Amino acid sequence: MVFGNSHAVKNASFELDEGRFLTILGPSGSGKTTLLRMIAGFQRPSAGEIVINGTPVSAAPPHKRSIGMVFQKLALFPHMTAAENVAFPLKMRRFDAQTIPERVQRYLDLVQLGPYADRRIHQLSGGQQQRVAIARALVFEPDLLLLDEPLAALDRKLREEMQLEFRRIQRELGVTTINVTHDQREALVVSDEVIVMDKGEIQQMAPPSATYRNPANAFVAGFIGVTNFISGTVVSSAGSEVAFRSGGETIAGTWRAKDAVPAAGSAVTGALRAEQIRLAASEAGLGNCQTTRTGTVRDAIFEGERTVYDIALASSSTRLRVFDHDPGAHKQFAIGETVAMGWNAQDVLTYPN
Amino acid sequence: MQTSKQAYPFRWRVMDAVENTASAVWPSRFSRGLPYLMLLPAALLVLLLVIGMIQIAESSAHRLDRSTFLPSEDYTGANYSQIFSTGLYWTVLWRSLLGSVVVTALCLVFAFPYSYLMVRTSSPLLRKFLLIALFLPFFIGQVVRAYGWLIILGNQGVANGLLGLVGIEPVRLLYNYPAVLFGLVQYMLPFAVLMLAPALAAIPEELESAANSLGASWWRTFTHIVLPLAKPGLVGAGLVVLTLSLTDFAMPAILGGGSQDFIANAIYDQFFRTSDQGMGAALTLILVGIGSLAVGLVFTLFGAGTLAMGRDRK
Repeated sequence: MVFGNSHAVKNASFELDEGRFLTILGPSGSGKTTLLRMIAGFQRPSAGEIVINGTPVSAAPPHKRSIGMVFQKLALFPHMTAAENVAFPLKMRRFDAQTIPERVQRYLDLVQLGPYADRRIHQLSGGQQQRVAIARALVFEPDLLLLDEPLAALDRKLREEMQLEFRRIQRELGVTTINVTHDQREALVVSDEVIVMDKGEIQQMAPPSATYRNPANAFVAGFIGVTNFISGTVVSSAGSEVAFRSGGETIAGTWRAKDAVPAAGSAVTGALRAEQIRLAASEAGLGNCQTTRTGTVRDAIFEGERTVYDIALASSSTRLRVFDHDPGAHKQFAIGETVAMGWNAQDVLTYPN
Repeated sequence: MQTSKQAYPFRWRVMDAVENTASAVWPSRFSRGLPYLMLLPAALLVLLLVIGMIQIAESSAHRLDRSTFLPSEDYTGANYSQIFSTGLYWTVLWRSLLGSVVVTALCLVFAFPYSYLMVRTSSPLLRKFLLIALFLPFFIGQVVRAYGWLIILGNQGVANGLLGLVGIEPVRLLYNYPAVLFGLVQYMLPFAVLMLAPALAAIPEELESAANSLGASWWRTFTHIVLPLAKPGLVGAGLVVLTLSLTDFAMPAILGGGSQDFIANAIYDQFFRTSDQGMGAALTLILVGIGSLAVGLVFTLFGAGTLAMGRDRK
């Protein structure tokens, strides 16, 4: 897809097996919505082909494709009841009028809206409207279900509830699903596969745990989870072990990029997740860690189940974010206090800069 | 130190000055009366209208004495019985009513695609062009426009000139019913577009995409989604066009050339040609009655549309 001179999406090739739940994750402007709109048929790709169940569909208008879509703002029809909204695609797709009421009721029951069939859209709560939108997109048993960030507007609790609901319905019906979101947590929670997009290109496609544990590049490492970035130049390498110098100190890391381990002197970036750093009052309290450093607490943010520390390294100007889980179980550190930190070289994911 | 001018914009200073003046003129302890004070001009206008209507009703009940040219002393329904027993008046009434209904229908049909394109187009240039084309006719009065049509549609006019080029004898395009209706449609179209456009803009475009992806072709999207949701706009636009064309004077007078009078022309003739005030007043009341009935009928059938700007409009 090309807008003017800039590619909104380029080289976005991927395959998805039947019955799988794929989430396309990316920041705004990464081209994820454009990709979804092309699959739905609202935009024509400038090159390439979209194939669903072995049939090329790029030239087909949206209403000739067998795709159910849940829109960002739901796009429910305000002049119809919940049941009429769900019946609409059946009527448009010329299903037998005799079977429509029974099928509408079955899908309303599936999304637990059975008793609300005759309510108008504005008489339903936000969560109930979500459910109507899901039932409407699924009732004609499409080959593919598309979700265009429908949960973005919900408050956190309802959003998490609906994520599990999507998961349940998708498993129950086994419908192939493509979800678009900028919420990394949602991507990890609901999906079988995650595609991370940036600047119109696919950065990585992998199952959620692999995306989290083995990010393909520094962008993916930074987009999912809270990650500290340390950039420097390579000093030495042995196998996938890389040592690089950053701000006057040498840091041991593990090479995670596909390309070959770089020669000494190349610029690299190490990504270290906030939860991989251990924290103690002194080095003795850290246990077995390959790398240890001391630092000063600059900020401590209590988040309930964890405390997030902002710590300045004593030996350089580098700042690190550190998660301390279950803060009630042990002593909390105060701002200005000196602490010991430790981590392992395998957790410093190193990529070309 | 440089301070930002944006932090206290000029228009706030203007508003401050206005507020200070207002509080000097009308101290805040009177402020409870302020809403009523602001309603006063409108209330006065309505009162004047009511007084006028009463006066018209009163004079419609007096028959003009042809020998003295004075209205009769006693109250009588003679004006009304004469109107309803005269075939000419029935013709005029029917012509006005049918004409305004036809003009309304045509205007809605023509205004819909225009408004839709204006609201939905992704080209700002096209939208600007359509807006200018919409407002331009307002700068030219109705009478001037009607005279313009006389020039274009006359026997020696541009239209017949073009027909002559392809060998067709001059056709009489003016001074008939279709000419009046044509002029009215052309005059009313911008009003219809103006009333319709906000209603169409209020329909989220995503609804059409959704209908499309759920299996509706553009035609079924239009009939099942856009048209029902545009109903308030259609009712609002229809009411404005219906009442304006039912009471129109200039188009029937100029493009009809005296042969295609509407009620307003008949009223004018009574007041200013035959000086029969009672007759004119009776016709006026009948026109008000027909107009109110038509509006009431639309209200009961379709609701008040965009004209009902209630708080809980759903």
